[in-house]
Amino acid sequence: MSANTSRLKRFGALLGQSLLFLVTSLSTLTVFFIFYFIARDAVPFFKLEGFREFFTSSSWYPTGHPAEFGARAIFFGTGIVTLGAVVVAVPLGVSAAVCLSDVLPFNVRQVVKPVIEILAAIPSVAYGFFALVVFAPLLQNKGGAVLAIGAWLILAPVLALLVVVVSDLTADRFSDLMRHKVRWILILLLGGAALAGMIALGRHLNSIEIISGANALNVAVILGIMALPTVVSVSEDALQATGRELREGSYALGATRAETILKTVIPASISGILAAVILGIMRAIGETMVVWMASGNAARIPEPWYNMLEPVRTLTATIAGDMGEADHVTGSARFHVLFAMALCLLAFSFIMNLVSEGIVRHSRKKLGK
Amino acid sequence: MRLETRRLLDRAFSGLGVIAIGVMALALIVILTPIIVKGSGAFVFRSTVEHRKVMFDQWDRGNPQRIEADKAAAAEARQPVYDMLSAFDAELKAMPRKERSLYKKPLRELEKALAELLGPVPGEHTPVLIRQQYGATRWDRAKIKLDELLYTEDWDYSNPDALGVLVKTPRVEQFRGTALEPLFAYIKENISAMMRPRWTFYWQFLFDTSKDSHIFGGIGPEVLGTIYLTLGAMIFAIPMGVIAAIYLCEYSREGRVVSFLRICISTLAGVPSIVFGLFGLAFFLNTIHISNSKSVLAGSLTLSLLILPTVIRASEEAILAVPHSYKEAALSLGSGRWHTVMTVILPAALPGILTGTVISMGRAAGETAPIIFTAAVSVGRPLMPLEALSQPTPALPWNIYNLSTEHEAVDEIRHVQFGMVFTLVALVLLLNLFAIVMRARISKKLRG
Amino acid sequence: MNEVIQMKRASRFAGPEEEDYSTRAAHVKTEEFSVFYGGFEAVKKVTCSFPESLVTAIIGPSGCGKSTLLRAINRMNDLIPSCRPGGKMIFSGEDIYCKNIDVVSLRMRVGMVFQKPNVFPKSIYDNIAYGPRLQGIRNRSQLDEIVESSLKQAAIWDEVKDRMTSNALGMSGGQQQRLCLARALAVKPEILLMDEPTSALDPKATTKIEDLIGQLRGQYTIIIVTHNMQQAARVSDLTAFMYEGNLVEFGPTRKLFTRPREKQTEDYITGRFG
Repeated sequence: MSANTSRLKRFGALLGQSLLFLVTSLSTLTVFFIFYFIARDAVPFFKLEGFREFFTSSSWYPTGHPAEFGARAIFFGTGIVTLGAVVVAVPLGVSAAVCLSDVLPFNVRQVVKPVIEILAAIPSVAYGFFALVVFAPLLQNKGGAVLAIGAWLILAPVLALLVVVVSDLTADRFSDLMRHKVRWILILLLGGAALAGMIALGRHLNSIEIISGANALNVAVILGIMALPTVVSVSEDALQATGRELREGSYALGATRAETILKTVIPASISGILAAVILGIMRAIGETMVVWMASGNAARIPEPWYNMLEPVRTLTATIAGDMGEADHVTGSARFHVLFAMALCLLAFSFIMNLVSEGIVRHSRKKLGK
Repeated sequence: MRLETRRLLDRAFSGLGVIAIGVMALALIVILTPIIVKGSGAFVFRSTVEHRKVMFDQWDRGNPQRIEADKAAAAEARQPVYDMLSAFDAELKAMPRKERSLYKKPLRELEKALAELLGPVPGEHTPVLIRQQYGATRWDRAKIKLDELLYTEDWDYSNPDALGVLVKTPRVEQFRGTALEPLFAYIKENISAMMRPRWTFYWQFLFDTSKDSHIFGGIGPEVLGTIYLTLGAMIFAIPMGVIAAIYLCEYSREGRVVSFLRICISTLAGVPSIVFGLFGLAFFLNTIHISNSKSVLAGSLTLSLLILPTVIRASEEAILAVPHSYKEAALSLGSGRWHTVMTVILPAALPGILTGTVISMGRAAGETAPIIFTAAVSVGRPLMPLEALSQPTPALPWNIYNLSTEHEAVDEIRHVQFGMVFTLVALVLLLNLFAIVMRARISKKLRG
Repeated sequence: MNEVIQMKRASRFAGPEEEDYSTRAAHVKTEEFSVFYGGFEAVKKVTCSFPESLVTAIIGPSGCGKSTLLRAINRMNDLIPSCRPGGKMIFSGEDIYCKNIDVVSLRMRVGMVFQKPNVFPKSIYDNIAYGPRLQGIRNRSQLDEIVESSLKQAAIWDEVKDRMTSNALGMSGGQQQRLCLARALAVKPEILLMDEPTSALDPKATTKIEDLIGQLRGQYTIIIVTHNMQQAARVSDLTAFMYEGNLVEFGPTRKLFTRPREKQTEDYITGRFG
C-alpha cells in the first residue's frame, strides 16, 4: 500500500469519526436547544409581568382585564398531585420490587415482569380516558364506598400485623407461664380495638359525598399507577445490584429473609431506590393527559389544602389547555406565561435529574465499585 | 424478640410484597377490562336497521334488496306509531285552544325522543345534519333512547340540604286519555321489531372515515395519522439514535466529553412531554417554519426527539451485549474499525436494537402532549404520504382526548371513544408483545 | 514468617501421629448425602463425619462439589432455586433437612465465612453487632462486650478499636475477612464453616487467617474448604478429598498427604491434575 492511499484512508477514518461525533452531539445537544427555545419565549413574560405575581399570587385570570397571572395555585396543584402519586407509587413499588427480586421464584417473576411492562406501555391518554370515563363517575357516584374499601384494603393488613407484633413483644416481658395467655388476651383486645376503629373510619368515609369525580385524588391514584413501573423496575435493578454475597452473609448469621432485606439489602441499595423515587416523581410531574382530562382544572388551592377531593390544576394541564386559545396571539403575556411554566418544569426536571445522578454516583463511590 | 415473632414478621413481609404485586396486577386488570370490553363493542355489537341504512346510504355497503326488505319490515312495525301520532294530531285540532297549548311542550319532547330513537318521520323533508337523518344505530343506544322516551327525568331540589335527586316519571302520564296513551306500551312491546337488532362485526371501523364528527363511521384518518406520526418519528430517531450509540460505545473514550453527553441524554429523557410539544411549536413551527401550520412533519420531528434517548439507550445496550470476542476476531483479521462496526457489530446487535426501537415506537404512537401544538387536529381526512409534509392530521391519542372532553355529544359516542382507546392500546401492546417475544428469542440465542 | 508456620505445624503434629480421631464424637455427620442442581448431582452420596473441636479440610479440584457440601451444612443452598438435597445431614443428632428444623436457628449455630469478604456497608461495630441484635440483644453494654470479645478472638481488635464507627468497606481485604470471622463468632456458633476464606487475600493476610484458625481450634468445630493443599496441610487435623462429587478419601491430614490410600488422591496431591 502506498503512503498516499494510507494517508487517504486515515483521513477518511478521521472524517467519518468526526461525522459520527457531530451527529451524536447534535442529538444530545438537543436538550440545550430545548432550554434555549423555551427560555427565549419565557423571558418576555417575566419582562412584561415580573416574577412576584407569578410565584406568589393565586389568582389566575389570564383573560381578565387586567389579566392576572398568579400561578401559585397551579404550582400547588402540581405539587399535591405529585405528592399523592408518590404516596401511592413508592410503598407499593418498592415492596413489589423487593418481592420481585428476593421473594418470588424465578418462573413467577417471568409472569410478573410483563405485567409491569404492560403497565408502562399503556399510553397516558388511555390512562386519562380511564380516569375520566370510568374512575371519575365511580368516585362521583360511589365515592364514599370506594374510599372506605380503599382504606380497608390498606389499613387492615397493616393493623393486623401491628396488633400481632405488639402483643408478641409485650408478651415477651412476662414469665413463661403467663406468656401464652397474655399474648392471646392482648391480640383479642388490640384486635378488637383496631376493628372498631376501622369500622368507625369505614362508616365515616362511606358517608362522604364527592361532588366531582374529577379531582386531585383521582389523578393522584392514576398517576401513582403510571409511575409504578418506573419505581419498580429501577428499584429492582438497585436491589439486584446488591449482589448475592451480601445476602448470604446476612443469612449465614441467622437472619430471616425480611431481616436480610430490611437491614442489609435495602440500606445497601438505598441510593438506587431514591433514584427510582425521583424518576417516579419526574414521571408524575411531567404527565399531561391524565391531569388535563381528570383533575378538574380549577386553578385554586383547595380548602383545606390537603383536601384531595377538590379539583386542582397543574402546570402541564395549563400549558396544554391554554395554548390552544393563546397560540394565535403570539407575543402576548398569555402566550409567554405558558413558556414560563414550561421553563419551571424543565428546570425542575433538570435539577431532579442531576440529583439522582449525583446520588447514584456518590453511592457507587461509597461502595467502592 | 422471639423466634416465632421473627418468623411471623418474615412471613408478613413476604405477604406485603405479594400483596403489592397483586395490587399492581389488579390495577392492570381494572384498567384494561373496561377498555377491552367496551372497546371491542365498537367493532362487535348489535346493530339496528338504522346502522344498516347508514352503511348503505353513506358507504354503499350491503345487499340492496335485503336492506329494502329490512327497511320495509321495520317501517311496517313503526307505522302504528305514526298512525297514533296523526290520530293525536286530529284530536288536538278538535281541542279548545287552552287545552291544546298544555300538550304543546310534551308533544315536542316526545317527537324529539322519537326522532332520536327511530329517525325522522318518513315523508317529511330530510334534515341537513346526517345525525338527524337516522335513529339509533346501536341496540344498546336504542335501549337508552327507549328509556328516555318512556320516562321523563326531573331533578328534585325540594330538600335544600341534600344534593338534587333524580326523579323518573313515565311519560305516558302526560298523555293519559289521549290517542297517544297506547303508544308507549306499543313501542315498549315492539321495539325489537322496529329496530331489528342483529349482531354485526363492523371491522371497517378501523378504516372508515367518520361522518358528522364521529357520530357515524370509523376512525380511519386517526389510525392513518398515528401511523404517519409514528413512522415519521422512527425515520428520524433510528438513524440518529443508532449513530449516537455506535459513537458512544465504539469510538469514544470515557472522559469528560462523553460523561457530559450522557448527562445530556439522561436530561433529555427526563424532559416532560408537554415541554417537547412547546419546543416543537417554538422551534419547528415558529422559528424555522418547517410548514405553514401544524403538520405531520413537525409532529414527527418532535416525537423523534422525545424517543431519541430511549433509542440511544436501547441501541447502546444491544451493542454492548455483542460478545467482545466477535469484535476482537474481526479486528485481528485486519478489518478497520468502521468495517468491523458495519459487518460484525451492527448485524449482531440488530435484533436488540430492533427490540428497543419497537418499544419506543409504541411510546411515540401513544404520546399526546407533543403533538397537540405541532401536528394534531380534531377532524380531517386521511392524508396522502406527500401531504404529510405540510398538513396536520387527526391522530388516535389526540382524538381520544378531543372526543371524550370537547365533543358536543360526548355520551352519544362513548363506543367510538372506547373503540379508539382500544385500538391505540392494542396497537401499543402488540408492539410491546412483539418486543417481548423477540427479546426472549435473543436471550435464548445468547445462552446458546 | 514462614518459620513460625513451620514451628506451629511441627507443634500441631507433635502429639501421637496416628491419633484415633474416630473415637471423637461426630459434630456433623452425613449419610448418603447428595445435592442436586436440577438434574445434575453435584455431591454424590457422601458419608462422612466431622468430629467435634477439630479442623477438617475439604480439598479437591474446582467443581468437585466441596463448596456445595460445605454450604449444605448451614443450608445456604436453600437460596439457590434449583438446588435440592438427598440423604441425611445430621448436626448434633438431628437431620437438618427434616421438615421441622428451623433454618434460622440452625444458621445461628453454624457460622460461616465466605470466599470473598462480604462485610455489610455499615460501620465496623454494626457489622459485628448484626447477629446479636437479630437475636434481640439491645442492651448497649452487653453488645459492647460481645463486639469486643469477638474482635479480640479474630485478632483485629487492636487495629479497629479506635474506629468502630467508620464504614467497614474502608478496611483492607484481609481486615475485612477477619471482620467477617469476628462477625460469625459474635453469634457464638458451634461450628465454623469456611469457604476458601483466603482465596481473595494476599499471602500476608492469608497467614493471619491461618493463625486464627489455629487459635480457634479446640473451641469450635471448623470445616474449611480450600483449593490450596499446603493450606490444608498447615491448618487441618483431618482432610477429605473430593473428586467429581464423590468423597474419595477421608482421614487424618498427615496420613492423607504422606500415605494416601487411593490412587486419585495421590495423583491430586502430587499435582498430576487439578
